[in-house]
Amino acid sequence: MVTFFKNKNNMFFLIFVGILLLFNIYNISFNTPMVPDQHWAQKIFYVHVPSAWVGFLSYFVVMIAGIMFFVKRNDYWDNVGLAAAEIGTIFISLVLITGPIWATPIWGKPWIWEPRLTTTLILFLIYIGYFMVRSFGGHIERVKRYAASIGIIAFLDVPIIFLSVQFWAPEIQSHPQVEMAKQPAGILIPFLISLCIFTLVYILMLRYRIYVIQIKDKLIKNV
Amino acid sequence: MFFILLKKELFIEFRSREVVLSMLIFGLSIILAFAFTSNVSKVIVSNNAPGMFWIMILFVSVLGVHRTFSYEKNFDAFSMLISAPIDRGIIYLSKWISGTIFLTLMQLVIIVPFFKFLLLDLPSNFILFISTMILVNLAIMSVAILVSGIVMRANFSEVLVPILFFPLVSPVIIAATKISSGVLAETAYQLWQFWLLIIMSIIVIFALAGYTLFDFITEE
Repeated sequence: MVTFFKNKNNMFFLIFVGILLLFNIYNISFNTPMVPDQHWAQKIFYVHVPSAWVGFLSYFVVMIAGIMFFVKRNDYWDNVGLAAAEIGTIFISLVLITGPIWATPIWGKPWIWEPRLTTTLILFLIYIGYFMVRSFGGHIERVKRYAASIGIIAFLDVPIIFLSVQFWAPEIQSHPQVEMAKQPAGILIPFLISLCIFTLVYILMLRYRIYVIQIKDKLIKNV
Repeated sequence: MFFILLKKELFIEFRSREVVLSMLIFGLSIILAFAFTSNVSKVIVSNNAPGMFWIMILFVSVLGVHRTFSYEKNFDAFSMLISAPIDRGIIYLSKWISGTIFLTLMQLVIIVPFFKFLLLDLPSNFILFISTMILVNLAIMSVAILVSGIVMRANFSEVLVPILFFPLVSPVIIAATKISSGVLAETAYQLWQFWLLIIMSIIVIFALAGYTLFDFITEE
């Protein structure tokens, strides 16, 4: 950690993102309008939707890293894939935690098989399998190829999962994003700011995690 | 080369009858479990029959796929197979088609006990039911063979296959249940044609992904 942040650019980026995060919390808590009927519960969207965006973006990075790993045959892309999968799963977990917290007071139930949340849950389960393959898959070089393949097919499956879940129960369509479109104008700007800040946090986390995995790889190779 | 490999798969199965027979016995055991847990209540069973049928097929296909690959793990036969100067994507295609044939054969036998043991009427449009079933089998096997191919040589592959396969195949199960419900209830084709499109998309996407990726995942 020390060596990564000895680099002035990384240190500046960390401080910049830290300040933005504090600003985001303040902005969400005090500057965003209260939505009638939802009150404080609505504020969870400034975390929930950006987490979902970052989670899916991260899984997209896993797919790209998987393709690049097969094309370039370079371990760097395996490290990118692993780092993105780990961070993506953290954010997707956050989506699965914040979704039901919002849903309980609004829908009266923590879970109603809403299509986007269901797709997220299915993707989360696929990635649990991904980490299991990573953990006890066997030969280290083979595991890299298995992981890259799973990353590719998992993301290819996302649009089909989403479409099928959406039409499976068409009556359940009360999603955060649908609700957001109906909300007052004062909500959109803080929401977009939160989205950008979450993306910056993600970039910082990804770069740091890739760095740590590369060091770990070097240590293993030197043993 | 594809037909030679397909012939090999079918020949091995014809000699041992391992895959179809094990799937069949397992399927019958699942029907028993369904009968006991639903008390063979006409209302419960008839409402859930398509879902029950595809749950049974899902479990059975995991067993079948595992058997398809496991005999090639013995004596490291798979390493010899991939050392042959052929496009490895064709190995995927031959396993996919043979897996679909085994699953369909097993279903053709089990379909009557399934409906009769659960005190249900056989589908009135039997040909349509079977045709859509074969299409769904192609989709199930396109995913199952790819997942098995990925983790076949990993440790605990028998654990990893269902863990990865079940969530990946969830759109197929949703679509299969909707299609079978439509066929059994004799509703208009327009009401369930969307689900056929979902099945077709899965077949195309996973067959292409499997054909392309199999070359990489089977490297030594």
